[in-house]
Amino acid sequence: MARWLALFTAFIALIVSVAPELHGAETVWSGLVIAENVAQPQPIPPELTRIERPLKQLFGYNQFQVIGQSSKILKTGQEDWLAISKFFGLHVDARGETEAGYVLNLKLYKEKELLLETDTKLSRRSPLVIKGPQVGSGQLLLVLVVQ
Amino acid sequence: MRTFEQKWTAWLDGQLSGSELTEFEASLPDKAAAEAEKANAKKLGALLKREIGAHGLANEEFFSHQLRERIARESARPSRERDGGVSTWWTIRRLLWTGTASLAVFLAFAIFVMHDKNPAEQSQYLTQILNARVDPVVSPNATISMFEAKEDRVTVLWTEGLQSLPADYAAK
Repeated sequence: MARWLALFTAFIALIVSVAPELHGAETVWSGLVIAENVAQPQPIPPELTRIERPLKQLFGYNQFQVIGQSSKILKTGQEDWLAISKFFGLHVDARGETEAGYVLNLKLYKEKELLLETDTKLSRRSPLVIKGPQVGSGQLLLVLVVQ
Repeated sequence: MRTFEQKWTAWLDGQLSGSELTEFEASLPDKAAAEAEKANAKKLGALLKREIGAHGLANEEFFSHQLRERIARESARPSRERDGGVSTWWTIRRLLWTGTASLAVFLAFAIFVMHDKNPAEQSQYLTQILNARVDPVVSPNATISMFEAKEDRVTVLWTEGLQSLPADYAAK
């Protein structure tokens, strides 16, 4: 009887102690992606494997190449960072953490020119894809994923 | 040597005899009055004996009756009550088991409710776009829409009409 009670108490203590840790430091991957249709597509980058199917279905391209990226470990939920390519820059400003994820302000720059700005609640379970401008025969996509 | 009062009391009680009785009766100034007083004392004594004796007997019977009734009541009670301790179903072991079982039921319900709640609140766990804007000077005809591919849990911000750029801009 006492043994069972001790086990039960330990189980509850484990749940209580582990639960807050589930929302510890997390990494947000942000990438500038060029989507194109080519005769012999390259394999999809590992960061995009998780969303390969919706990317292909929604945008209709067969190749996705990362031209700029950044992985940021969020500890306070107040960090900001840049993912840049030669001509584009994605500035991400984290403005707090919610139960589901992070509140982010995103700004897409073409060199120094602001093209697009958005505020989002990025969920841990749900990637964000932003369709950017047409670039040559392809399309610029912005992708954010909580890893 | 007894005093006159002691001899008087003994005479009233009829306890003087022999020469002592003769001497005492000879010493009485009025023997007739003394005899009358002795008779009255005897009557009073008899009366008191009769009244007090009858009353005392009644009290004794009443007490006996009370005692018998109490014994009968005590005998009719269950043995555990006579033992003095008030027994209860809630023993320590049962309390512990009941507490543990209650916690287990609570956890089961909590897990069930949380599990049931998730589908309804799934949209809360999709990324939400709070607002979006483009520079109207750079892209005056741009439009913005947003949607969720719920099957893949992907949120999309869809822009149309942004300024197209040459292929050089795809450089890393």
